[in-house]
Amino acid sequence: MPGKSTLKIINAVSGLICIMLISTVTSEAQKVPISFDNYHGYTATVSYLKKVNNAYPGITELMQIGESTMQRPLYVLVISNMNKGTTLDRHIRLRNKRKENIQNVPEMKIHQGKPGHFISGSTHGNEYTGTEVCLYIIDKLVSGYGNNAEITGLIDSVAFYICPVINPDGLYNSVDRGIAQRSNSMLKDDDEDGKINEDGPDDINGDGFITRFRYKDDKGRYIIDDIDPRLMVRIGRNDTTDKQRYSVIYEDIDNDGDGKRGEDRESGIDLNRNYPEGWWKDNGFAGGSGDYPLSAPETHAIAEFFTNYRNILMAQFYHTSGGFTFRPMGTAPHPSLDQKDVAVYDFIMGKKYLEIIGEDVPESWKNPGNIDKYKKELAPGDADKYSKARGYILPRGWRVSYNEKSDKRYSYGMATDWLYAQYGIYSITTELWNPEADIPGIKIDENGNHRLSTMRAVLKYQDDTYDGELFIDWQPFKHPELGEGEIGGWKPPVTRNNALPGNVLENVCEKHWKFELFRAGLLPSIRISDIKTSIIYTGNGNEASAEKNKGEFIIKEGKGKGKGKYNIIAIEARVENTGALATNLAKGEDLPGNRQDVVWLIPEDKDAKFIEGKPATSIGSLAGRQKIPGVKTKPSMKKLKWIIATEKNSPVRIVVSSLKGGTVVKEITIK
Amino acid sequence: MNKLYKYYRIALLIIFSFTFYHTVPAQDKLQLSAGGDHGELDFRINWKKYYTYEEWTGIMKDLQEAYPGICDISSIGKSMMGRDQLLLTISNKSTGKHSDKTAMWVDGAIHGNEVNGITCSLYLAWYLLTRYDYDPYVHELVDKYTFYILPGLNVDANNSYVEYPNTPHNPRETYRPEDNDGDGLYDEDLTEDVDGDGELSYMYREDPEGSLRLSADRRRFVDAEEGFEGPRFTRIGSEGYDNDGDGRINEDDIGGPDPNRNYPYGWTLNAGNPYPMSESETRNVFEFQLNHPNIFASFHYHNTGRLIMFQAPPPVSMSSDQRQRLSERTEERLEEMRKENKYAQLFARRVSDEYQHDMDVQEAIVTEGAYILKNYRPVIGGLTGQAHAATYYMLGAYSYLIELWGSPTDLADTNNDGRLSDEEYMKWIDLDLAGEGWKNPHKVNHPDLGEIWIGGSAKKHMQRTPPSRYVEMEAEKNARFVMYCASQFPKVSIDDIKVEALTGDIYRVDVVVENESEYPTSSDRSVQLDRDTPDQLKIKSSGNITLVETSGKEIDEGRRRWYNRSQGNNPEKQLSSGELTRFRLKGKEKRIIRYFVAMDGKKGNAEFILESKTGGSDRESIVIRKD
Repeated sequence: MPGKSTLKIINAVSGLICIMLISTVTSEAQKVPISFDNYHGYTATVSYLKKVNNAYPGITELMQIGESTMQRPLYVLVISNMNKGTTLDRHIRLRNKRKENIQNVPEMKIHQGKPGHFISGSTHGNEYTGTEVCLYIIDKLVSGYGNNAEITGLIDSVAFYICPVINPDGLYNSVDRGIAQRSNSMLKDDDEDGKINEDGPDDINGDGFITRFRYKDDKGRYIIDDIDPRLMVRIGRNDTTDKQRYSVIYEDIDNDGDGKRGEDRESGIDLNRNYPEGWWKDNGFAGGSGDYPLSAPETHAIAEFFTNYRNILMAQFYHTSGGFTFRPMGTAPHPSLDQKDVAVYDFIMGKKYLEIIGEDVPESWKNPGNIDKYKKELAPGDADKYSKARGYILPRGWRVSYNEKSDKRYSYGMATDWLYAQYGIYSITTELWNPEADIPGIKIDENGNHRLSTMRAVLKYQDDTYDGELFIDWQPFKHPELGEGEIGGWKPPVTRNNALPGNVLENVCEKHWKFELFRAGLLPSIRISDIKTSIIYTGNGNEASAEKNKGEFIIKEGKGKGKGKYNIIAIEARVENTGALATNLAKGEDLPGNRQDVVWLIPEDKDAKFIEGKPATSIGSLAGRQKIPGVKTKPSMKKLKWIIATEKNSPVRIVVSSLKGGTVVKEITIK
Repeated sequence: MNKLYKYYRIALLIIFSFTFYHTVPAQDKLQLSAGGDHGELDFRINWKKYYTYEEWTGIMKDLQEAYPGICDISSIGKSMMGRDQLLLTISNKSTGKHSDKTAMWVDGAIHGNEVNGITCSLYLAWYLLTRYDYDPYVHELVDKYTFYILPGLNVDANNSYVEYPNTPHNPRETYRPEDNDGDGLYDEDLTEDVDGDGELSYMYREDPEGSLRLSADRRRFVDAEEGFEGPRFTRIGSEGYDNDGDGRINEDDIGGPDPNRNYPYGWTLNAGNPYPMSESETRNVFEFQLNHPNIFASFHYHNTGRLIMFQAPPPVSMSSDQRQRLSERTEERLEEMRKENKYAQLFARRVSDEYQHDMDVQEAIVTEGAYILKNYRPVIGGLTGQAHAATYYMLGAYSYLIELWGSPTDLADTNNDGRLSDEEYMKWIDLDLAGEGWKNPHKVNHPDLGEIWIGGSAKKHMQRTPPSRYVEMEAEKNARFVMYCASQFPKVSIDDIKVEALTGDIYRVDVVVENESEYPTSSDRSVQLDRDTPDQLKIKSSGNITLVETSGKEIDEGRRRWYNRSQGNNPEKQLSSGELTRFRLKGKEKRIIRYFVAMDGKKGNAEFILESKTGGSDRESIVIRKD
């Protein structure tokens, strides 16, 4: 809280530290080396985060935001210049406080006074490409600070909140132990035998990896691929085939001798079905995962984090795979979004994303001004009603999970919907990894089943590029319960659902780093300018008060001993947003927990009187500089005027505090 | 030899302890005189007082120490400011584990300012514990059931409300920081006791344009008549300072979301933000309830309004015409019913068949509630994130929200016009309260406002929570209502077994199973949620009696259905489904489970074992003899 020492000293010292910091940072670039030849998993990710935090103390903070079921910490690495910026509570000294002295309001952190950008990976433990992208982004940011003007500028003015692992247990099991686990962990006893999680998969051939066991089974759902016999091809339940049918299971035995295999795994609930938006079915029964929304310790930690860091305006949840991005909504149809937000999502972010992944941008996005023309073109066709209303069908690479064709919701309780609808955040979910686009020069047979052709091509690619190191060829094995069969498959943690480590992975990282860098560049930026002051009246040594009545000031001079001379001053200022996007989403400022941008005029003299204007003025949201195609925006600038009576030569400051647009201060000296 | 003897002794010990375990301790202080001491003197508590956190948790600890055999104390978690939420678990430990017994949940004061709920739930605990040895009714409840009692739920705010000067409305919520006035600061402008008299009253300022003046006796501010010449006043509001210098007073008081809109069922962002179960205080409670599926019903204490808010099943949608007709019909029927019982309750809510029993049960229960609590009015509770919505709709437990006390209107409305005039109110202060709770107007120097006046009602315990002298009056009857509900937890028994000889060696055995209580063994809602455990009747017999119409062990399901249909699907005559028959006993239900058996020989016996997870168990044996 302010008031512990004078603010001027704090500012001066922090300025000095700031200068020293920049000079040390510029001298070195990458202080913590990182390689993408292997997946980091949970343990190596945590150790990397700690090293980065140690190496870059002036621009990072490592926060533990919660704990997983198995008590592994969830971390967020904050990247922002910790010596630049300000928060509102640093400027207002509370007086005559209640004697009870309740300490429920923590001091604001400096980065809470900057617009926030959240990036996360591994909500699903087996989709760890996103964790790697997070680490890549961290590396680019911290090592770019002081070397690259764009990055330096962003770290000074923006707060990056990077959570490489939302699901520590799922990631730990998937990568560190090599047993893929999408869900979080849960202490449970599925088979009600009184033992907890006692029957997971096992490395039965003792080669150090848990892969797959395939065995001949007339009721099996797999056959061996003709072209690459290492591949198992899944067939439909009712498909007929004259080939040998196989069943494919995890390498696994019945540990507890109850006749079942893998029936009591650690696997808990799908975290991306545990968020509060659209969690319930219409009939009043649960639709999403868990006993109630945010029942999982991991999602609870994320919700609490977003509640405490309301400055966040951008969010990304990396998943795999497919190489496309979901923007909201999945649980509700198109009209549930505000059209202004849709325009930002599609015409600005979506367009850039498609360019980055090399997919065609819809014609209507290039000319959103002519959207009516495209609407007319779509109207007679068989496009769904939402596409017709919009004027375009969402492209493959930038879509919603809501099924617009059949007008059906996609599932329940997902993170991206929740943050958009309840927190007013530009949240997206990118499904990373599309081999076709991400492996340079990959050759996929255009004939036949595309998915199968891609699988063959990826397997072939690892033969050529990785000397076949990523795949364990099938070896005969006699299963104690199932008899003869073979063990083999992708060598954990490599799977076909994650970008292959090395160059391929780096390629994926680089694309998405570029996209998030672009998004960070869209964040709002508040300035105070054109401050004008004029002295309307100067007092003569006694206490006085002034009132404005029909344009005239009535000065009442007080009796008794004077405290000193006083002035009546008029102050004008201009507050503007020079960033690309507005300080709130279209409906953002009305959401509970959000608010309008506020301008405070704070006289140092605690007896100062406001004759015109108020100490705190709510000004709505400030639009950004970027023209939003097809949308009339609010002005990006506001003019304010105050008249106050204050002690002579007593300073006054203006603080503009936008929850999601940042906080700035200007000190005024009156002459 | 020696070794064998040792085993023998161990075996004896096991048998002995097993027997002991099932023996219910006798009531050595049984008291049947209505004029006697019922144990209250064993552990004295002053019920004319509101207790701070330290004090009420101290009482809880002392109670547990005094009654260790029937009471446990534990923390279900911590509040935002780190206070433990202490829970009393009251159940006779020698009659089984608390978590195996059908249980009642009681919490007091989810709203920080509604601390009457603390005294009421604490009173219930004290009543159960002190009377256990003296009162056969209480004795049976404590032996058979479990009471989970959390006297303070919102402990941070509860303590502040009791210990510090406050308005009747604050602190109400949990202590999550919130920016009520949207100025960018959190909880920065709270109320303060400006005149330092330990109470929060109203501030007034002299104002030539004001509409108030001092009354002739100078005790209160009254409307100034036109042309009044003396000093005039304007009311400013509750006592407090302008802490953040924004020109406003008390505009950002402490407290975040309403904890009773924070539960997941019917949760909305606007009412229950920031997210469902965001508050540790409510989350700890709900997690406890989820982990204790033995909780069968719940009580949640609030102030004020004298309401029994019960949770009812979802209504079926109706046209406005239908609604109109239903409410007219309900009115007529109610009028008829009230000729017999003036407390009769009936609600104009139509529910689907699978929920009808819950509706009937709740109407029956709150009818008795209205009788016990006298001037309390039963109403159907809301569905926007309240605790009682989650307990019924998500856990399937019957739930009740009690709005304790009301206004002093009941006590001081002399002219019976349903309102309290200023004069009536002052009479109440003077005659009933001997002047307590009133502050005569006096001048005070205010750092932001200069010279002001403060006076009027010391609102806290005059409006939201009753003056402490009324605490016991409220608590005693509310304790009795909770106990009445517990007394109506399901109790199953085998009422009768009828054997009839048919042709040859075939006999028909009708086993009459019964639930004598108002509550069913599982609520309709828990059945819909699939959280119920069906009751079951098992037959065990001497080797020569076999079930006929069975294939293997289970009767063919198709034949059973055909038989039941041929009996008009009468629930009172269901064919057994084999050696194990599953069903649900509704409240006050008798049901006949019919068996066809064949007996080989002259004599045989069979035992029927009835088991209900919530309603207990029973067993009965029969002997069949052939003449």
